[in-house]
Amino acid sequence: MWRVLYLLGPLLGLLGYLALGQYNLPEGPGKDLVLAKCQACHDLGLVARERLSRERWDAVLQEMVLQGLKVTPEERAAILDYLATYLGTAPPPAPPPPQAQAKTGAQVYANCQGCHGPSGEGNPPLFPPLKGHVAQILGREGGRAYLLAAVLFGLQGEVRIQGQTYNGVMPGFAWLSDEDLALLLNHLVGWEGLPNFPPYTPEEVRAAREKALTPEEVFSLRQRLSLP
Amino acid sequence: MSFQKEEAMEKLSRRTTLKWMGLGAALLAVSRGQAQQTPTADQLVKGKDAKLIVLSQRPIVLETPYDLLASQPERTSKEILYVRNNVDLPGYNSVEGASLEGWTLEVGGLVNKPFTLEAKELLSLPQHEVTMVLQCSGNGRSFFQPRTSGNPWKRGGVGNVTFRGVRLKDLLESKGVKLGEKALFITAHASRQGNAAEFVRSVPIHALEEALLALFMNGEPLPAVHGGPVRLVFPGYFGVNNVKWVAKIEFTEAENTTAEQMPRYRVPAIPNANIPILPQEPGKTYPYSFTNSRPNWLVAINSFIFAPQEGQTVEGPYVRVEGVAFNDGLVPLTSVEVSTNGGRTWFRATLEGSGRSFGWVRWRATLYLRPGEHEVIARAWDAVGRSQPLDGNIAWNERGYEYNGVMRVRFTVA
Repeated sequence: MWRVLYLLGPLLGLLGYLALGQYNLPEGPGKDLVLAKCQACHDLGLVARERLSRERWDAVLQEMVLQGLKVTPEERAAILDYLATYLGTAPPPAPPPPQAQAKTGAQVYANCQGCHGPSGEGNPPLFPPLKGHVAQILGREGGRAYLLAAVLFGLQGEVRIQGQTYNGVMPGFAWLSDEDLALLLNHLVGWEGLPNFPPYTPEEVRAAREKALTPEEVFSLRQRLSLP
Repeated sequence: MSFQKEEAMEKLSRRTTLKWMGLGAALLAVSRGQAQQTPTADQLVKGKDAKLIVLSQRPIVLETPYDLLASQPERTSKEILYVRNNVDLPGYNSVEGASLEGWTLEVGGLVNKPFTLEAKELLSLPQHEVTMVLQCSGNGRSFFQPRTSGNPWKRGGVGNVTFRGVRLKDLLESKGVKLGEKALFITAHASRQGNAAEFVRSVPIHALEEALLALFMNGEPLPAVHGGPVRLVFPGYFGVNNVKWVAKIEFTEAENTTAEQMPRYRVPAIPNANIPILPQEPGKTYPYSFTNSRPNWLVAINSFIFAPQEGQTVEGPYVRVEGVAFNDGLVPLTSVEVSTNGGRTWFRATLEGSGRSFGWVRWRATLYLRPGEHEVIARAWDAVGRSQPLDGNIAWNERGYEYNGVMRVRFTVA
């Protein structure tokens, strides 16, 4: 019995490991930093698909610093530990037990803060602010659906926010769960102090997913809001 | 081995086995759920064939599936041509042409008279055409073992296209520009409009002979996603050197020092030594420097089998084997050979055309084969005696560049 499992097990494991969903980074210490730092410039898929030795990950980080990655020595060490442990040449340690406390919107926001800043202040001229702008969007008819669509499917097109023009590509985050996306959106809403705003729900996210818009279609949704 | 030791090892491997199994099951479940969420090639780039494989969404990297590549053996159309962006230029993700209006091109560095040009002026200068292989230097990367880092290309990071535009040397001449003695490299910069990150690449001054400011591809305006409205192309050089959306061209004494020049897009080498690559122990890292490595410049000699395709069943006993071959265009290809016994004996294929070519050259052979399973391999030779390694892994390098091992195709004769 065990002998069969010895053969089958690693095979099944290996298959799964290789079929690792494009954006699925294993849970582990340092993952939040990877989410925060790497997505400003590229897909997480580029990270998730690699299986490299610590030495090679170290060289990759060096390359990324050359290309503009800003990290403190402590952050760099934590990212390297994560990558070498969870995306290394050996299988990663077992995932930690599910968290006792419920996940918060602030935790999901780790995906966004690399570009939009820890408190939504943005990083002009590359990445627009969210704080203040989200209130502007939600104040328009269709704003609620647009904000959800932008987070789900991304946005492409030139936008002007608080006097600054932005023309980068906002990637979609459809790979996050309905629950996580609702938490995230409510986190953004929370900054704006809109006491009577009915929170986003996972059901609402699920329904919006069905539409499968392109980033350009999301842009035309935005234009219909006639933002200032 | 003592019994105790054996037992301990069994425990250990049992634990590992369970760990692998759990991980595998969990991940398989997750990835199945994600499948519908990934945008297709036509959603990422307007006008691309939806069958292109999305290797990365941001920056955009699309691979041509091999059967699609082989279905257009003359010239690769804009709908199926691979895309490898290092930096996406916002708004330029379409196979339609991009406007020349307002596009300027700066030429400077070690020249007597630097100048800036309205790119639309290029339309009134003499136009030249060149058919060339455009190939990512990472094409074939996934055949290296152990796995190397980077986009996992199979063989679809390549195409054969016809560019039309103005020769860089004609432009310099029309402006009365002379190069300085120390102008040893051409360093091209891509546009940074829309806050795009910088992309810079240097090639040796030798490349000036054929350098073309391309405005058209395959008889149509150069697709925006392939560098339109103007791309600086160097026939015979790997894809990365052909800078898209070119905004500035400098003549320099040294290679530029951005990450695209060092340590990326290089292979280990001994300076001035006549071996294509300094072999490495697979899996090891290498301390890349300007003096112990060389950039991915000239396209390595290579050949692809377009028919039969892997796993196909064909009629016998006479079987047509065909494909394409290419090198850097500096000397003619002299032959393509095929073998069905792992390289013990070779059969010479017929080449379509002779003489130097930057484009790929079609070849074909008719083999007499018994019913059953066969494996055919092909290798090209050129006039200076260059050919392809039987085992491509000899060129293993940590970023997986310049794979040109012979291609193997298994098929059945009915």
